[in-house]
Amino acid sequence: MLNGRLDKYLYICKIRMIRSFTYKFEVYGNILMQSIIMITTAFFWKALFKNETFENGVTADSMMTYTVMSAALSVMFTTGVERRIQQSVEKGSIATDMMRPVNVFGIFLAEDIGNLIALIVQNLFPILLIGSLLIKVPVIVSLSAIPMFVGSLFLSMAINWLLAAIFGMWAFTAISMDALFQVKKHLIRLLSGSIIPIWFFPAWLSDILNLLPFVYIYQLPLDIYIGSATNDEICRRMLIQLVWVLVLATLYYLLSKKVLKKVMVQGG
Amino acid sequence: MIQVKNLYKEYCVAQKGKGLGGTVKALFKNEKKIIKAVNGLDFHVGSGEIVGFIGPNGSGKSTTIKMMTGILTPTSGEVLIDGRDITKQRKEVVNDIGVVFGQRTQLNWDLRLEESFELLRHIYRIDKKEYNETLAVMDSILGIHELLNKPVRQMSLGQRVKGDLAAAMLHSPKVLFLDEPTIGLDVGSKFALRKFIKEINAIRGTTVILTTHDLGDIQELCERLIIINNGVMMEDGNLSEIVERIAPYRTLVVEYYDSEVPSHPKAEIISVSDNIVRYKFMKSEITAAALISDLSATKPIKDVGIEEAGIDEIIKIAYTTKTTDGN
Repeated sequence: MLNGRLDKYLYICKIRMIRSFTYKFEVYGNILMQSIIMITTAFFWKALFKNETFENGVTADSMMTYTVMSAALSVMFTTGVERRIQQSVEKGSIATDMMRPVNVFGIFLAEDIGNLIALIVQNLFPILLIGSLLIKVPVIVSLSAIPMFVGSLFLSMAINWLLAAIFGMWAFTAISMDALFQVKKHLIRLLSGSIIPIWFFPAWLSDILNLLPFVYIYQLPLDIYIGSATNDEICRRMLIQLVWVLVLATLYYLLSKKVLKKVMVQGG
Repeated sequence: MIQVKNLYKEYCVAQKGKGLGGTVKALFKNEKKIIKAVNGLDFHVGSGEIVGFIGPNGSGKSTTIKMMTGILTPTSGEVLIDGRDITKQRKEVVNDIGVVFGQRTQLNWDLRLEESFELLRHIYRIDKKEYNETLAVMDSILGIHELLNKPVRQMSLGQRVKGDLAAAMLHSPKVLFLDEPTIGLDVGSKFALRKFIKEINAIRGTTVILTTHDLGDIQELCERLIIINNGVMMEDGNLSEIVERIAPYRTLVVEYYDSEVPSHPKAEIISVSDNIVRYKFMKSEITAAALISDLSATKPIKDVGIEEAGIDEIIKIAYTTKTTDGN
């Protein structure tokens, strides 16, 4: 029964994956852009660190790993859900989607997963390869960190997707969506530790950031990967990460109900 | 099959005053105005019927169709499809209905038609064998076989509508809603579409609800007509009965040998051009044969012809007569 119900989403996922594999130009452009960001960031850290060691044991060498892995993660955090919501509201296709026995947001999630699979093959491996050749082979700090890294990475992806979906649902009320998307993109870029790890920020600021969901997208899995946090600290932060997933999931659920109801009352 | 009970739909529209002053005022205080798009509709459609649902632009027909298909929630009242409420049991009832909007496609723009169909097959969980059978039937009526490999964005409007029709029928719905399916189509495509509607109605017993502005569609397809205006039911009944009631007259066209034309007490002359005269007469008062013999007794007649009241005339009358006393 469950298998039968999931079948349609799997098919949507598969179709989206096949489609993503056909967009060659976008792929090359993305790899190029990510590589440039990665290489410049790496040179920046190299110049800054020289041979010094930061207080929590981070060296220039582990900073290189951080940079390459950050670029790799950014591939995995690509979502299309906010654009999809915006488009389906604009074109009114959300109404026709609702005539089908499917969950509209289930479709969006399935499409993003399909796209992610294509991205991992097309973008993730090339970026890791370029990073390894030009900067450093990003080796994980210890084998025992792998399960924690994978676990927190899944939670990161959940937070990232839920945030995107929640921002996307603003499409129903906001006047200019593009501005909102830009705000979200830069918030994540600056506050999540994707470029600058938050331990470089003043203590009061990083304390505040630790309460927000953004650091649990990039910073936490990267900290686990390079070993810049103690096991106790990681456990504590993964717990906060899990709480954020639950909070955002609840918010998402309530919002999606409200939004669908609004569509059905106003006619999209 | 379809039961519409006391259906109402109201929209709340924010009203802005004119000019800059009005815009500024609207920032602080929004004056809301309630528009009644559908105002108490009640009707029943039996299984296997083809019903033409017509009305002028903005009369509330699309709103009604949207409520009947579960896209819009009614303000009050209910729509039952095969005994189940579309608003409350939407996820189950949608399996029984198929919908085609002539003005927008439900097919995936980037996918080949076959992929779109395959996607629908998974969404509705249609058995592969049944799917192939339905596809074969669709192909025999619409000839979509050569379209299967084409992406939807490369299709002409006619091809796209054919694809949409086949897509709507894939899960063998009991009811098919068509919202202006023939809009913008050429004669050939229109003909194919009408043939399609007739055949699925005959072969599968599908109930069809059709909105259209095309009088040919109505004449050719619909036995029953529901006419609405301003959200209110104007007429509901058999096409020929409505014609009989709204326009119980015919026009007799007579050609004489010269331009001096005789009149008749029971017929009204509506136009004279050279030797051709048009007489309008009530079917209940005089038969065409009697009128012709009366006229030919006074003057020699060269040629005669009889015109029924056109369907467009009927609709025009139906749209206008009741609106004046209704509101």
